[in-house]
Amino acid sequence: MRLHLIELILFSTYAELRAERARSYLGLLWWIVEPAMNMATYYLVFAVIFKTGEPDYLPFLLIGLTLWQWFKSCISHGGYSIWQQLPLIRQVKLPLQVFPSVQILADTVKFLCILALLLVVLWCSGHPPNITYVALLPVLLVELIFVAAATYVVAAVVPLVPDLRFVIEQVLQVVMFLSGVVFSLDGLPPGLRRWFELNPLVELLDAGRAILMRAQWPNWSALGRVALISLALYALGTFLITRLTPRYVKLPT
Amino acid sequence: MSEPIIRLENVGVAFNAQLRVGSPRFWALEDVSLSLQRGERLGVVGRNGSGKSTLLRTIAGIITPDRGRLTRAPVSCQLLSLALGFVPHLSGRDNAMLSGLMLGLRRREILQRLAAIHEFSELGDFFDQPISSYSTGMQMRLGFSVAIQVEPDVLLIDEVLAVGDAEFQQKSGAALRERINSGTTVVFVSHGDAQVHQICDRALWIEHGRSMMEGSVEAVLAAYHAAQQTPVAAGG
Repeated sequence: MRLHLIELILFSTYAELRAERARSYLGLLWWIVEPAMNMATYYLVFAVIFKTGEPDYLPFLLIGLTLWQWFKSCISHGGYSIWQQLPLIRQVKLPLQVFPSVQILADTVKFLCILALLLVVLWCSGHPPNITYVALLPVLLVELIFVAAATYVVAAVVPLVPDLRFVIEQVLQVVMFLSGVVFSLDGLPPGLRRWFELNPLVELLDAGRAILMRAQWPNWSALGRVALISLALYALGTFLITRLTPRYVKLPT
Repeated sequence: MSEPIIRLENVGVAFNAQLRVGSPRFWALEDVSLSLQRGERLGVVGRNGSGKSTLLRTIAGIITPDRGRLTRAPVSCQLLSLALGFVPHLSGRDNAMLSGLMLGLRRREILQRLAAIHEFSELGDFFDQPISSYSTGMQMRLGFSVAIQVEPDVLLIDEVLAVGDAEFQQKSGAALRERINSGTTVVFVSHGDAQVHQICDRALWIEHGRSMMEGSVEAVLAAYHAAQQTPVAAGG
């Protein structure tokens, strides 16, 4: 049963990526071009026009946006996946975690392409590979759990309250600014920053920047705390989807 | 008589009428009871909106009853669904794999059967083209060719017996009858008396979500048609 689901998730992910490629002229190129345009926009507005940048603002921004975009696209795609698949869910009995998982996996493949490009840009701009790259694996793994957890929770709730679709994009925009993606949170008073650090993304972005920009090891205890929060949230998301599944098929068409 | 593999006792299923806070629920199934033995072929008759499709999806385990009791032996149930999970931009081959996985087949099982699916669907070179270039009939042919590969313990059929043009209808109808006659347990929802007569050993009549009568095909169809002709029964 489990192996069958893994096969279903993997093939559906392949199908999703392949169909996405077929839907546009430039196909796979958009995986890179779209985020690059997004990054260029932020750089233009915040570094060039408003000159809010600090030293090393370009790598700071690129790392922040790359890690953030992964989270955001998973929520934007995976968060609606159960709601979008309601007609299918009425036809076949499947564990519904499959649908957000496929989107998370597809967005993770795209993220890895952007990450590879980011690393090349960083190396070319004076931030060469270093020993702390070893820590990237656990940092990315924790972010994956957090991303999956948040996506599951959103995916569980959206079918019951589809109105949330109108709110989620705005909330994501606010979360982005509160997570230190574009602005550094170092200027905040320490008391206030502690509150901001309750947001797992703040710690994950800090860890990513420490490794890639400063060749520093991440704050392991903070990363451990984020891992625990993410695992708890993941359990909650899985529970919600399983618990609410009987209700989804009874929603009005 | 052996233990039934599926038994419904006074089962009720309610749906949300609207996405509104406090919106009332409507009962698509009010009170349905049935028992299904292994190898049995049960026909379900009833007018449109009587709850036949909801009943099939409840038996399939897709819908959970809100009241009553449903017991199911550890058996696999498949609702015969065509074009399940099809993605327009993918080829017929990829869609066959995707649909087969959704229907519960393993990847290697589908790979083994891809040649048979290709041949049965009569799609020729189109099999490797995106299904967005297919006609509706071609999509149905592919959908049927995949669905017929699944061999569940209990096959649930909602009206669909044959698809496509006249020739393919004959072929798909024959393949399905062969599956039905091979000892598979079947629940078959239909409007057509002839098909219920031809396929089923027993019948259940449901009306307004309630089971009215369960018994031999002849007796149930006779009672069902008699009720249709009386003004009271025809009123709802």
